[in-house]
Amino acid sequence: MQDVRMRICTATLLTLVSFFSVVGAVGVFVWWLVFTPRFHEIKRIRMVTGTLILVAVAALFISIAGGDGLSYLVRMITIILIGIWLFSEQKTGEFLHLGVWLLGNRTGFEMGMIAEMGMQMAESLAADLDRIHMAMMIKGQTWGVKTLVPAGLILVSDALVRAQDTAELMAVRGFYNGGTFCPKFTHKRYDLIPAMVAIVVVFLAFIPVSEFLILYQ
Amino acid sequence: MKLHLNATHAYRGDWLLAAQGTFCEGLHLVSGDVGSGKSTLALMMAGLLSPAGGSIVRDGISSIMISLQFPEYHVTGATVAEECRSWGLESDPILSEVNLMDKRTTAPLALSRGELKRLHLACVLAKNYDLLLLDEPFSSLDAREKERLCEHLSRRTVGITVLFTHEQTCFPQVDHIWEIQHGELLDRGKMPDALTRWEHAPALIKKIISAGKILKNISHLDLQEAVCRT
Repeated sequence: MQDVRMRICTATLLTLVSFFSVVGAVGVFVWWLVFTPRFHEIKRIRMVTGTLILVAVAALFISIAGGDGLSYLVRMITIILIGIWLFSEQKTGEFLHLGVWLLGNRTGFEMGMIAEMGMQMAESLAADLDRIHMAMMIKGQTWGVKTLVPAGLILVSDALVRAQDTAELMAVRGFYNGGTFCPKFTHKRYDLIPAMVAIVVVFLAFIPVSEFLILYQ
Repeated sequence: MKLHLNATHAYRGDWLLAAQGTFCEGLHLVSGDVGSGKSTLALMMAGLLSPAGGSIVRDGISSIMISLQFPEYHVTGATVAEECRSWGLESDPILSEVNLMDKRTTAPLALSRGELKRLHLACVLAKNYDLLLLDEPFSSLDAREKERLCEHLSRRTVGITVLFTHEQTCFPQVDHIWEIQHGELLDRGKMPDALTRWEHAPALIKKIISAGKILKNISHLDLQEAVCRT
């Protein structure tokens, strides 16, 4: 899906449907199977396994406490899948276009810029994690509880140093607030199909279809 | 103890690096322009990057150490003292060697790049390894520290040491020269014969050779000796 506005609206709709209804979650899963590159994207994004394990553990606790853990698991997995799709489709600069289009050159520009910085930071953290892993391998260390704390401290410290560098650079260049930007969006006609199907999934999830069938009989 | 590169090659997009040759015990210098593939070759030789083709055979090598170009990439300790201990070393002797005793509780990433490089090299060189790979070890060092490093490396007699650098002013006494050109690792041979074939040789070395003076090696002392010789 080329247009970031359409993509975010679709993802928001699908996430809400997944969260509020198991039937909706199943519909969203089918949508994900049909309209996304599926497992190809999952392989590219790390942390997926960790997130799934966390969700599974939470679902187990809910079940033990007498809740519907299975429903939680199904709904959360589909939300994660939609998140992965949204993240993998994201292109550099899109949030700036979206922010300015939505809220104008002052607030929108700043919000878009902050979102872009956040995305860059996420990529930097992944690179930092890689190099810490390599450094540990070089030193003959293995991942564990003992190495987790210093690794976390380095990640946070690196992120803060980078944030300070960026802030200083912007101040030196005279940034005060807002900016001038002409948002542009590209879209293909095919993009309408997954968006329309997402709306159909919403209707199917919230409209009591079974009652219609009873009426029909 | 030998390291064999058998038609080893690596791809980075449409860029190819091909390497063939055997590294025996001693100090090897691999020179090449920035971006020529020195770091990629170093990572492959250390076993941290798998070659796209060919093979790397480490014959009789039981311990490997690589020093990456950027010292920050090695940091795993939250303080300078912890960083020393993460290398399996006592912190105090290392910190006194590099004059950082007063910064033992400082975060390593709060040190200047030069201080961190000094600390990192001291940790790397504190132990003996069968294969020691140094990727741009002179970067961020001042002239005095570069000279100190050269002296240390010249004294190293055990194992295979490979120095990957585009440095043009300061060298230890080396045994073998290699260079990377147009995506290929070229064996320029043993010292001092390699000097006449070394295309990336610094201007000073080329000038000394073209003046008909015989250079035994490329350390400061060797250059001084050749220049002063009548």
